[in-house]
Amino acid sequence: MLSWTDGARDTAHLLRFRARTVRRRGPAVAGFALVLALTALFATFPAHLDTTGEGQVADLLRQLIRGVEGNLPLVFTGVLMLAIGSAMSSGGGRELLSRSEAAVHPISPVTEHLGALALTPVNLAWLIQVWGLLTMTALVIAPERLVGAQIVVLAWVVAATALGQVVGWLVEGVRRTTHGVVIVRVVGGLIAVVFGLLHLAGLLRPMVDVLPTTWLVETMATDGWPLVTLLLLAVSVVAVWFGGAPAQWALSLPPREELRVESGVHEARHLPAPRSGSLELALMRRLDRGSVWRSVGMRRGLLVLGLGPGLVALVAGLQWSSVLLLPGLAASGAALLFGVNAWCLDGKGMIWRETLPIAPSTVFDARTLVLGECLAGVSGITITMALMRNGLPPLQIGVSVVLCWLVVVVQVLAISMSWSVRSPYGVDLSSPRATPAPHGAMAGYAGRLSLVTTMTGVLFAALAELPWPWVTVLVAAFFLSWSARRLVRARRRWLAPAERARIALTVAAV
Amino acid sequence: MNEPAIDVRDLYVRFGDVEAVAGIDLSAESGQATALLGRNGAGKSTTMKVLAGVVPPTAGHVTVAGHDVATDTLAVKRAVGYCPDVGGLVPRGTPWEHLQLSAALRRMDDWEVAARDLLERFELGDVAHRVVGGFSHGMSRRLSVVLASHHEPSVLLLDEPFDGVDPIGVDATLDVIADARARGACVLLSTHLRELALEACTSAVVLRGGSRVAALQAAELSGEAYRALLD
Repeated sequence: MLSWTDGARDTAHLLRFRARTVRRRGPAVAGFALVLALTALFATFPAHLDTTGEGQVADLLRQLIRGVEGNLPLVFTGVLMLAIGSAMSSGGGRELLSRSEAAVHPISPVTEHLGALALTPVNLAWLIQVWGLLTMTALVIAPERLVGAQIVVLAWVVAATALGQVVGWLVEGVRRTTHGVVIVRVVGGLIAVVFGLLHLAGLLRPMVDVLPTTWLVETMATDGWPLVTLLLLAVSVVAVWFGGAPAQWALSLPPREELRVESGVHEARHLPAPRSGSLELALMRRLDRGSVWRSVGMRRGLLVLGLGPGLVALVAGLQWSSVLLLPGLAASGAALLFGVNAWCLDGKGMIWRETLPIAPSTVFDARTLVLGECLAGVSGITITMALMRNGLPPLQIGVSVVLCWLVVVVQVLAISMSWSVRSPYGVDLSSPRATPAPHGAMAGYAGRLSLVTTMTGVLFAALAELPWPWVTVLVAAFFLSWSARRLVRARRRWLAPAERARIALTVAAV
Repeated sequence: MNEPAIDVRDLYVRFGDVEAVAGIDLSAESGQATALLGRNGAGKSTTMKVLAGVVPPTAGHVTVAGHDVATDTLAVKRAVGYCPDVGGLVPRGTPWEHLQLSAALRRMDDWEVAARDLLERFELGDVAHRVVGGFSHGMSRRLSVVLASHHEPSVLLLDEPFDGVDPIGVDATLDVIADARARGACVLLSTHLRELALEACTSAVVLRGGSRVAALQAAELSGEAYRALLD
């Protein structure tokens, strides 16, 4: 029997507990205020832009509005799809306490369910969706109708999140049944193929047009918005209530995929024979790669982050100026899987690793290379899929795309390694629902990474419009040297024995 | 007179405002096993970590196998085998991968037969290629002892190696200590289990509040005397 009162009370206890463990309260409060301010800005500012004037900016705005006007129902649907995808890939959403911490406490499935919902907004992808939706709505809805429309947008986001959570738990439940992993993969693949075929046949758009989101978008700009809001809130309440049952079902089953990976057998391999670099570096890279690819959460996350934005580029046929934003976001997402606290890959094994007779610089280099591989791989898939759709770009745009990709990868790498050295955390990443740092810190990391990489993408998109490719090369060289400097600084800090000991003891939580 | 394998003089370790070790003096000879005893928070594990080259001393002079831990950390790590008090295993690696890495970094040839034998002695032969994330606490502890000892270090540091370990694992650990002593290695054993410390060690050092309060022969460590030193 599900007890919602107890579940809600326990969720509140856990949220308060987590809030008390926030190390730096000042930046946390400032970050929260910034999120609210940005939300208000995105919801209102675009409506006041002058689109009637002359000049490039006004032309660009008019072009943007034309593009958004017909596509808003599609974007609403996309928010729901992303909510489902996010809940599915994270095995039911984030957890308030790690699995090992929670094991000794009587935490009910309702608490897990409500906790996952409460933590959803502390997520880069979720915030970007909300901001994107608010911005697009503000661009196309008349200012006098904006308040009602934006309230509907927020209600839709809440409803989509709650519905996504229901599907997330259902899929996690199926995944935990005997052949569940295969079933989820096959069904997921089939759905992707069907969507692809519908798109190729030109049927996807007409299907989207008959979805309720079209009615939603049409009605939110009329006097009917309070009714729509009430309806969406009712859907949200029902979805939250309904989600308790699949959460209980899923959490009552053993996490087969994780258990299989945790008890996986890997036969002995010969020592690596590196073509370049030392044997020590090759050994550490092998160990670190194993730590990444033998984790259900990281493997699934890297796959989703690689294919997700790539599929958007492939299906939606984004212009290169928009594609330029994707590698940074994909790399940021990949860094948030483990890179922002890169030493947590070793868990309690970090103390043992620190007893190995190997130069600390090699350890740092190996971890940096493996993180770099993940960032470059994930963002590279996105670019490759955009290439498949758009074909080879003209020289100037091509130079911008390649250099932007390189710059954002090195940028995210340097920032991540710098944070990893400065603020390590002891976390247990055995569950796909786990995060490499506390949720508040993750929100800060996500915001800063997305801001930096988006601004970089926007800059390179602007540079792509210039007729001089050498300007782009110069700007890229400046960015790369700046990031390299940051990386060298983090490396130097790691090489100090006292700093390394602090990191090792923190990560191993001893 | 031979130089002691472990020589600690006036060791201080501070973590911010916390003084984990406050002026410890300690020495241990090759071919001998020394018990490091004390209550929780006495500074045993921190001292072990300093000796293993994981934590640098804040002040004081520490040499292990003739190498200064502050200036020649890599040489110390080559000479030492260390079983940490908790964890000590990379969660997604297999025991064999741990052993292979450790052996390769120490440039060991033909280590496989001895490693296999050691795994069998600790009843870990069947799980040599299984990811350690799914191991029980006792299995992890046993593997940590295997990892500490397989390269036959000249200084063997065992921090709570009996914690949660079954009798077969305890016997295997005692054998490892005896083997290490027989080949002339210095063993430092930290444990709360006085009886096992008496069985394995020839001498004992008792720490309290980050300082050494006694150094005595194991035979002198009666239950009452030990209790009195702890309080």
